[in-house]
Amino acid sequence: MEAVARGGRERSTPAWIVVTEQELRDLWLGGRGLVLSVAFSLLLSVIAYLVATNRALNFLEQRESVNLTLQVAIAVGALLALLSAADTVSGERERGTLESLLLTPVSRLEITLGKLVAALSLWLAAFVITVPYVWFLGRGVGLVGDALASGFVVGTLLAIFLASLGVLISVFAASNRVSLSLSLLVLLALFVPTQLPSSAQQGWAGDLLLRLNPMTAGEHYVGKIVTNGHPWSQDISWLLSPLVAAVVFSAAALVVGARFTGLRGGGSG
Amino acid sequence: MSAAIEARGVEKRYGAVVAVADLSFDAQAGEILGVLGPNGAGKTTAIRVLTTILAPTRGSFEVAGHPHTRPSEIRRRIGVLPESAGYPERQTAEEYLRYHARLYGQGRSGARAVASSLLAEVGLGDRSRSLISTYSRGMRQRLGIARALVNEPRVVFLDEPTLGLDPAGQRQILSTVRRIAGERGATVLLCTHLLAEVEETCSRVLILSRGRVAAQGTVSEVSRLAAAPRSGRLRVPPVYVESAVTALHEVPGVRTAPANGQPGLLRVTLAQTDGVAPEETMNAGVRAIVDARIPLLSYELEGARLSDAFLAMTEGS
Repeated sequence: MEAVARGGRERSTPAWIVVTEQELRDLWLGGRGLVLSVAFSLLLSVIAYLVATNRALNFLEQRESVNLTLQVAIAVGALLALLSAADTVSGERERGTLESLLLTPVSRLEITLGKLVAALSLWLAAFVITVPYVWFLGRGVGLVGDALASGFVVGTLLAIFLASLGVLISVFAASNRVSLSLSLLVLLALFVPTQLPSSAQQGWAGDLLLRLNPMTAGEHYVGKIVTNGHPWSQDISWLLSPLVAAVVFSAAALVVGARFTGLRGGGSG
Repeated sequence: MSAAIEARGVEKRYGAVVAVADLSFDAQAGEILGVLGPNGAGKTTAIRVLTTILAPTRGSFEVAGHPHTRPSEIRRRIGVLPESAGYPERQTAEEYLRYHARLYGQGRSGARAVASSLLAEVGLGDRSRSLISTYSRGMRQRLGIARALVNEPRVVFLDEPTLGLDPAGQRQILSTVRRIAGERGATVLLCTHLLAEVEETCSRVLILSRGRVAAQGTVSEVSRLAAAPRSGRLRVPPVYVESAVTALHEVPGVRTAPANGQPGLLRVTLAQTDGVAPEETMNAGVRAIVDARIPLLSYELEGARLSDAFLAMTEGS
């Protein structure tokens, strides 16, 4: 019996880190992370090929081709984080492994945090994969550094926002399928403003819509730096929405995860 | 010494549905308490409440000396094999146990040692590096029990540990359960609907019906509580069968019928009457035979069975 209490006092690694390590192992050694990363690099290769050939034909300016590639990388990288996060609670619940986890003395807050951090690793991997493509497309015009830095900042904020959103949905979803479908639906809804005609994006209403939506605001900010060569500070107000979304949604995910992560329904007995 | 589990009026509701009502019982250190009940009786909900997965709607309980208001302390001292526990298919058994040991605060090397020792204890030492996806159901249950022991728990909750196992697998699990109580001194709450498991393994039993405690006590105490009629057999010379039936007819609480195809054999059903034990009713029947000067060749009272009690107390559930 003493070993239990002793073990509790001797804890060297915070529990959320133990959860993160295991989630990373499951994600990357279990195969899902590698498969998604390979698919991501194939997609990026196709995009890079298309923008590079368009540029050779003078249809696309070099800065625009870097911007386009970076926008795709950010959007898809954040999507991967969202998909991974959407599986965190509902997936464990469906596989019957959640109860064992909840039975440990680790708090639900630490479990949620560990899973959220692990989900963000997909975005980080996507960003690392993006670096050589951006370097290749942007070499010679001195924008690689700014492009990568702004892409990393915006992409990380959006990945935190979307992964947190995925966790929130996953906590309440009745099944894993519902969680994944709902997450994708929300993501598509966030991209809707980009499909509006340019006239609808003008004026104060259009401007407000683009600024309030973290996805469009973040991509607008990156675009201004990469395509227009604006300094970081000039359009900083566009970063507000991704920043607020990342902070608010990650806090909400942790609070909700700590409060509502649990089983659904009763047992047979 | 305080009880390892003390529940007082625990209730769990889902809206208007009462899953567990007024659950009160004690379990002492080192004992194996069987919790019986038909499907839907509230066994799993009761376990989930006592293991702090679900909060009680009403009532209070203590597990391993800690009140239900301190769930983290309780979880630190209990081990649980949940009903229909799932396992990560892509992990090996060793990885799985190491992870859980670390969640209880073990360092990397300590977790490795705990994992290999427990896997050996439940007979999975030679398969510790196999993926769990390759495990049979019995192996998974043993792995689940090993996981329930990673923190050297004072109280172990096992929800249907032998479900879906063949007789050999069941025997193996039950022997592990006895070892947990006997060698580790842990209290085991064994939730099942298999009566034979309880009779064979448990020192005491709790019968749940529709979320309420229908009976509790030792196996023989609970068996005696059964309101179900008990039975016996009397053998007289075939020529005396009719007069024996007439004599027994006069005894309150006794119903008799000749056994088909077995001359001289009478089947006796002993209804429970107020304040009179079935054994005494049987004695009265025997006296009636003797008083009627009928030669009694043999008689036998069938033992009180837990299954009778179970069926009587859970009828209609």
